Amino acid sequence: MEEAQIKQIIERQPLHGSALLDPRCKILLLVCIGFVSYFLAGEVVSLALMLVYGAFIALGNGGKWAVKMIVTYIIVAYLNALLRYVQVPVLSVIMSVFGVTVLKLIPIVMMGLWILRTTYMDDLMVALQRMRLPQAVTIPLVVMFRYIPTLRIEYRQIRCTMDIRGISDTFWKRVSHPLATIEYILIPLLMRCLKVTDELAASGTTRGLELECKRYALRPIRFAWPEIVVSLLGILFLAGLLLIDQTKIGEIILWRV
Amino acid sequence: MISFQNFSFRYEESQDYTLRGIDMTVETGEFILLTGRSGCGKTTLIRSLNGLIPHFYPGEIQGDLVMDGHSLLEMKPSGLAGQVGTVFQDPRSQFFMTDTTRELAFGCENMGLPREETIERIAKAAKDLELVDYLNRSIFALSSGEKQQIAIGSVYALSPKVYIFDEPSANLDYAATKRLAEIMGKLKQDGYTIFVVEHRFYYLRDLIDRVFLIQDGKVEREFTREQFCALPEKTRISYGLRTAYPERDAKNYHEKERLFDGKHLLAVQNLAFSYKKGPDVFQNVSFEAHAGDVIGILGHNGAGKTTLLSILTGLLKQQQGEISFDGKKLTPRQRRALSYLVMQDTDYQLFASSVEEELSLGIKDDCKEKVDTTLDALELSEYRERHPASLSGGQKQRVTIGAAIVKDSPVIYFDEPTSGLDYDSMVRVSNLIEQLSNSGVIVFVVSHDFEFIVRTCTEVVQLDDHGAIQNHRLSPEILKTLSEKYFN
Repeated sequence: MEEAQIKQIIERQPLHGSALLDPRCKILLLVCIGFVSYFLAGEVVSLALMLVYGAFIALGNGGKWAVKMIVTYIIVAYLNALLRYVQVPVLSVIMSVFGVTVLKLIPIVMMGLWILRTTYMDDLMVALQRMRLPQAVTIPLVVMFRYIPTLRIEYRQIRCTMDIRGISDTFWKRVSHPLATIEYILIPLLMRCLKVTDELAASGTTRGLELECKRYALRPIRFAWPEIVVSLLGILFLAGLLLIDQTKIGEIILWRV
Repeated sequence: MISFQNFSFRYEESQDYTLRGIDMTVETGEFILLTGRSGCGKTTLIRSLNGLIPHFYPGEIQGDLVMDGHSLLEMKPSGLAGQVGTVFQDPRSQFFMTDTTRELAFGCENMGLPREETIERIAKAAKDLELVDYLNRSIFALSSGEKQQIAIGSVYALSPKVYIFDEPSANLDYAATKRLAEIMGKLKQDGYTIFVVEHRFYYLRDLIDRVFLIQDGKVEREFTREQFCALPEKTRISYGLRTAYPERDAKNYHEKERLFDGKHLLAVQNLAFSYKKGPDVFQNVSFEAHAGDVIGILGHNGAGKTTLLSILTGLLKQQQGEISFDGKKLTPRQRRALSYLVMQDTDYQLFASSVEEELSLGIKDDCKEKVDTTLDALELSEYRERHPASLSGGQKQRVTIGAAIVKDSPVIYFDEPTSGLDYDSMVRVSNLIEQLSNSGVIVFVVSHDFEFIVRTCTEVVQLDDHGAIQNHRLSPEILKTLSEKYFN
């Protein structure tokens, strides 16, 4: 195959729409959602937040994921509403606090994991560098970003051996000895983590990770007009939600059982 | 030209020098094999070459290390990035990016190359090393062999003058190893200087120019290719070296008698499996295993060896067929209770806070006596109080085997037990398996290590592309056909 053809393959782009925004823009929106989600009390505005950002994600390779998270959101909201009928002292309070926390977390998780999936590592490194963050911050961040998908694979491996060894292999053992189960999972996970991050760092170092040159990603990374418009709209929308939350609309109860 | 001049190194945390007075000169374009027992210092030697010593692994240095008239000791590893390229042992832990194209670009981006040049360079790497089919893929979807090729490509894009390979074949099957040798051959042809650290060096026998045997941190001997390949077996073994011609072992195979005919019988009938929405991994797999059999499971990467192992050990449920033990049909749960799996990566398998506790973990009855005898048998008694994570790789492996013995499993599975092992450790694992077999355990071994298979197995099960399976009692003839398949 000719090099020109190979270059075309290299420049081929599986991502589209909002997934191609500058990572800085995505992170900015995530941070804003993080703040606002906890301040919104009204059920209508919270749902609006979920729906609008779900649509935003759906425009960038995240359609299925957005639907999944919105459905989860509605189910959790209904379960929360059901809690009203459970009248156990203390436990009810704990449960409802827990339920509300989970509900507030869902939009953040939705956005966060979408960013994780639709951001190329080199785009992220360039974006972080352009933000003038020092390497002491960017390198650990990138290693972490890279390690998250690996965690799942490692976790599965460990569960397999636990099953064969006969430790925490049944639901009952997991429930009756939760601490032991966590310990059995955490220890090998930490050991692997230490080893992998060490090897990863060595491999990165020999390929010049520590050089402080200006980096260029495989595609241009710019905080240009689209990013500015999206950021402004996103922030205005969130500010609007905060305002509407103070009005009558904030008091409407959606989730009734 | 690279020369080590009376070079010594001591790691900061250690009392003794790991390298002691190395004198070694390598010309540009030479293909060098560094070999020797585990812990002899060969990894330390290449760490000094790529600058990880002393900047990443600090310690005390004496002597000098000079490349083309400049001392390497004054250079940082990042400064060496465009000059010395390293491919590490474990392909899983040397990827910074989550997709292949960006992994190839990683080094160039670190060097601050402009976009067009980076693309130019990775296109060249993809063309020269035939990596086009792997472009734009998630690295989690690649096999070990494919990952290793991408790792080489990523170094190639930086166009270094010197290549270092640290046990590159440890995680590869025969086909992937052959491909690795092809790539190395091409690099040699293009005039690069190449250093390879390797125990299983048979695939390099036509490429090497000189071999340095490292012992206790010193260059014990230096060979030319001819001298090295013609080493008499006794001398080779006394140095703890693997064979350069594993296929020759086929002739020396002694058939072993079945000691326990009729004691236990594990029968597998018409096993079939496919992942959701995927094609069949295999179908119609049938074979039998008797107590004392040591069965090698062979097949290239992706032929379904791991899946077969998962079904046999009860981690997965088969879609068709059945597995029975002494005539009794087994559910996955019963299979889990019967079996024990010794994984390639022992880190996943050690849970407890001491070796002693590790062996008795998950066992309900009192087993103190058994733990004691097992610890003795595996030469682990002196480490009984130690944390398993603080042991060496070989010792960790013995601890997991110990846990299998204490669990009293009638069937024990080994996944690549000899990857990255020197001759002595390989023989030790082989002997351990023989002991297990002599006590009536059924042993399954997934392995690519021909030398080890010939030494250890009594039978082989072969998985091929169509997922069909054949099982044969091993004989010199079968080994001969196998060796032709692998080595020609």
